[in-house]
Amino acid sequence: MSNGQQQEYEQLIAPIEDRMMRAVWRICRDPNDTEDAFQEALLTVWKRWERIRAHRNPQALILRICINSAHDALRRKVRRGKWLDAAAMPEDIADSAAPAVQTVSGAEQDAEVLRAIGLLSKNQGRAILMHLVEEIPYGEIAAALDCREATVRKHVARGRARLRDLLAHLIPPVRKEEGSHA
Amino acid sequence: MLDKNADNDVDELIRKSTQVEIPAAVEDRLRRRLTEFRYTLERRPSRSRTGLRVMAMAAALLAAVAVGLVLIPRESSASRVFAAAAGQLRSAASLEYTVVLNTAPDVTVELSFLAPGYRRINCSWGIEIRSDGTTGKQIVLFHSTRTYLAEEGKQVESQAASDDFLEQLRSLPQAADELLGEQRTGGHRLLGYRLHKAPANTGNPGPKEFDVWVDAGTREVDHVDIAIQEVGKPAHQMHIRNIRVGAGVDRSLFDLTPPAGYSAMAIPGGATPQNRPALRARIGQAGAMAAVVVPMTGPYEQASAALQRVEAYLKTEGVAPVGPPLGRFWSEQYWEAGYPVPLDTRAEAPFEVVTLPAALAASVVVKGPWGQDSGGRWAAFLQSVVGQGYAPAGPAMEIWSGDEARAASQYTEMRMAVAKAK
Repeated sequence: MSNGQQQEYEQLIAPIEDRMMRAVWRICRDPNDTEDAFQEALLTVWKRWERIRAHRNPQALILRICINSAHDALRRKVRRGKWLDAAAMPEDIADSAAPAVQTVSGAEQDAEVLRAIGLLSKNQGRAILMHLVEEIPYGEIAAALDCREATVRKHVARGRARLRDLLAHLIPPVRKEEGSHA
Repeated sequence: MLDKNADNDVDELIRKSTQVEIPAAVEDRLRRRLTEFRYTLERRPSRSRTGLRVMAMAAALLAAVAVGLVLIPRESSASRVFAAAAGQLRSAASLEYTVVLNTAPDVTVELSFLAPGYRRINCSWGIEIRSDGTTGKQIVLFHSTRTYLAEEGKQVESQAASDDFLEQLRSLPQAADELLGEQRTGGHRLLGYRLHKAPANTGNPGPKEFDVWVDAGTREVDHVDIAIQEVGKPAHQMHIRNIRVGAGVDRSLFDLTPPAGYSAMAIPGGATPQNRPALRARIGQAGAMAAVVVPMTGPYEQASAALQRVEAYLKTEGVAPVGPPLGRFWSEQYWEAGYPVPLDTRAEAPFEVVTLPAALAASVVVKGPWGQDSGGRWAAFLQSVVGQGYAPAGPAMEIWSGDEARAASQYTEMRMAVAKAK
């Protein structure tokens, strides 16, 4: 074991361990699926380690790998029709501070939102997750995806439009009416 | 304005639904993965020392990690796959599969189950048992003689046997004893698990190993390989194939109405199935034997002519039979008749040498003309076998002795390989 490699882990992975784990959990929401997706992501990181070390934004790339793995798992589950029924979502997904009735409602909403994200294309889904969920700036996403910033914006815009259609029934009606009269 | 507001609403909805904290239990599991990853990473050869040797080491390490992380399924993931497969079997409303007892020639038993209590056993040697556990009725069909035996109003013995068969597969434990690895078949990734089963106290031949192969995608059992090891004998292999869980089952398979063209089995002296003469099969080890036979198809009445052909052939070859003639019957489409011969005998087509390995077998010797009431005898024989907790594991065999010219001197040994049903 070399000190250099220990330092690399400390520099590149240790600061974002929490973000890596959280990124996968937020998308998978199932302990077993999360562990599987996380393991797949770590294997990808291991295989691409030299490229990651040399990357201009290694941590964004690592987060992208985690999100890719989780999004792939989500897409597979949605495609197979095995995405969780809202009622089956783990209780700890919901905001524990919310009243009981709202907790159930929140879990249903979470399930629908994640299912919709699972229906997005790979590029759109990953861009949405990186930008909206992980709040990574466009520039860093572009670096991680190896594309131009404008391309990332396009993916986010198109993904957002698709989600707007898929989740129209969850968008507050008052705001919709305001919009339609504007 | 609409787009901006709607965009904000969508963004807010997504953030609200995804900004959740990771549960402590999940975080613990992921941190263990990170610790393993860090350990592996810190032992990765440095690229600063590039060269063929280092590259080779890196490739080897990559392979090792790939094997460790992916190819050999992780225990937690693999365990879940097995538990899911076992759970599917346990809760299946319907289940169908084929037990391959022997290959070349194929000896198989098809089992079908439909909740709440419909069962069917279809043996490749021409016997089919359909039972309705809810009413206690059953019908045994002897396809070779186009006869049937219908019973009701009592605990159906053959149903107990089929229960045992079914329970072998339906009551898999939640966890396997050993992880075998994976194999790819027809585009499917199969994970292998081994279950060790100790011999029971009731004559079970020896320890068994059940290798259960589960489709990692569907989490359904794909097939099972069973190895039975008896002391001092080569391992015997059986297989379970064509497993269908929860698939649509043809309900006509469980129809207890006798098929068209089938007649009720004649019981000697007008005896009913309940008061037929007692016939108790003896369970024991049958020794290995070889026989020169001629494969046959069509009515069993050709048996005498077939034996004459074999006898004539053996005479021309200078081979002396070592026992009385015999016949093995899978169905009217395939049966054999011939003579036992020394183990090293050879034969030319259309004659064949068949080797019958030593096996657990049920047998009984009945006195009377050869072939008389064959269907009734076999029905009683089968019931005796099943009633003792065994199940057929091979075709029906008859060994004929006595004087062909004097019916009163004739004896028939009925024999069938069997396996402990549970």
